[in-house]
Amino acid sequence: MHARVSFEEIRKIAHLAKLSFSEEEFSRFFQDISDIIAHFEKLNELQLEGVSPTSHISWSDPPMNTDEPVEWQGSDLVLQYAPRVEGRYFIVPKVVEKEEKPS
Amino acid sequence: MENIYVTIGLEVHCQLLTRAKMFCRCSTDYIGKTPNTLVCPVCMGLPGALPVLNRKALELAIKTALALQCEILPEVVFHRKNYFYPDLPKGYQISQYDFPIGVRGVLEFTLQGVKKRVRIRRVHVEEDAGKLVHEGPDLRGAVSGVDFNRAGIPLVEIVTEPDLHSPEEAKECLVMLRSIVRYLGVSDGNMEEGSLRCDANVSVSLSPEMPGTKVEIKNMNSFRSVFRALSYEVERQTELLRAGKTPVQETRHWDEVRQVTVPSRGKEEAEDYRYFPDPDLLPFCIPPEMLQEIQATIPELPLQKKERFMREYELPEPEAYILAQDRDLAEFFEACVREFPSPRAVCNFILTEVLKNLNSLNIGIRESKVTPSMLAELLKMVERREIGISLAKGIFEEMFRTGMGARDVMLKKGISFLTSERDLEKVVREVIEKNPQSVADYLRGKEKALHFLIGQVMRATKGQASPEVVKNLLLRELSGGE
Ligand SMILES: [Zn+2]
Repeated sequence: MHARVSFEEIRKIAHLAKLSFSEEEFSRFFQDISDIIAHFEKLNELQLEGVSPTSHISWSDPPMNTDEPVEWQGSDLVLQYAPRVEGRYFIVPKVVEKEEKPS
Repeated sequence: MENIYVTIGLEVHCQLLTRAKMFCRCSTDYIGKTPNTLVCPVCMGLPGALPVLNRKALELAIKTALALQCEILPEVVFHRKNYFYPDLPKGYQISQYDFPIGVRGVLEFTLQGVKKRVRIRRVHVEEDAGKLVHEGPDLRGAVSGVDFNRAGIPLVEIVTEPDLHSPEEAKECLVMLRSIVRYLGVSDGNMEEGSLRCDANVSVSLSPEMPGTKVEIKNMNSFRSVFRALSYEVERQTELLRAGKTPVQETRHWDEVRQVTVPSRGKEEAEDYRYFPDPDLLPFCIPPEMLQEIQATIPELPLQKKERFMREYELPEPEAYILAQDRDLAEFFEACVREFPSPRAVCNFILTEVLKNLNSLNIGIRESKVTPSMLAELLKMVERREIGISLAKGIFEEMFRTGMGARDVMLKKGISFLTSERDLEKVVREVIEKNPQSVADYLRGKEKALHFLIGQVMRATKGQASPEVVKNLLLRELSGGE
């Protein structure tokens, strides 16, 4: 079976995930991911014509929340563990307004 | 000058009116609250936290899709939309992808009396992001602050097909959409507070066969800015085309201060969200009885109400349209007509005086102190000619300001209470008794005697009665009553 992933795709995924790797690591990922995809290609040996993809088994009556607010008491603790806090804000490097943000 | 062909599609986000967030039970009442107080491990994306869907959020999204005549997909599936932005705590937004709540709907509205029809491509539900703050006493240096109080509030996203052909149409379509979500009670649709947000795709072409370049416009925070931004953008693209250039396919921001659109600093791969089904949330089938129950809660919608008002109250289309846009105002109108069955008079007074006073305070009829009965009472006084229409307008302003009834306002302002019909009758009888000679003269055919009697009544009422009413009352008394 032939794995359908390119070296460039691996680089792009790493970039999107904001991860940086050495060339050596990239080669290893390329090999590993190619192997994983090749493994799953085994599924193509099955007759799957007309079968819709299933990511889960559907649930007819999943647990759902009622629309009643409940206060959580731990927010001070979370702020305490944050790398940087001013007032009650989590602080991040300046975000340029007008930077494209998905919606 | 050649024709231009404008194509606009809208993408609208509305915060759903749930009390708790979409996947946790933090309160959604975030406006004006201390930062990061309405948060929990789920909406801050802490490791190990698991989302559980708020049933109400799902119901409100389905209600929206049903009201927009969408086909409801049988299965609810959530996807992760992956991107990095500091207001997105998990590094992904829980959204919907190839299985939105509803598809292929329709929205109708009218523009200057002409019916327009816009196809709805999809309606889906997703979670809101947190809020970034760029200035404030807590922020020093090149930093931004993040507040997650808004993170996880349920949103419904409504995407139209590019069926709109002018900025006026786009604005009117948005106004109707807001009206509908308010009617449904699914969102308060407040653009200024950000509970309704609108992005638009605009393309301009010089020939109907040639599609233009799609430009996305963001950051329009009011109905007026939607109109202005789209007008600016149409103008900008038209000029480029006339100069023989092609607009760039890009995202642009509306700059409210400079009243122009400017290119956003985009990243090339910004569109690659690597959607995949959220393994924390199991897909499930919507039970048919749930759909029926939700369908049963959909009220008469603005256009239906408008048509009923035209039929039932014989209101002209433009007036009926304005009344029907605002559910509260429409209900106020109907309650008032029940007590004072002159629909035209009630409608006219509401669309002029009531709206004028509401707009001056920027509030809705629900927040005003005037009730339908109070307005009905005032209009009855006008009908009985106890007061003229201009006096009624002044009295209404005072009623609106103080919450007092019309008669109380008149009393307080020293506008004579005598002008009420019953009291006037009393004065008229007294004047008749005191002036037997004039009465006799009048009965013998002396018109002048009548004027004298009117003058006497006017003097007794310090000039605050309507001479016409006085004349009618005198005539009635002199002819032996009715
Ligand atoms: Zn939460």
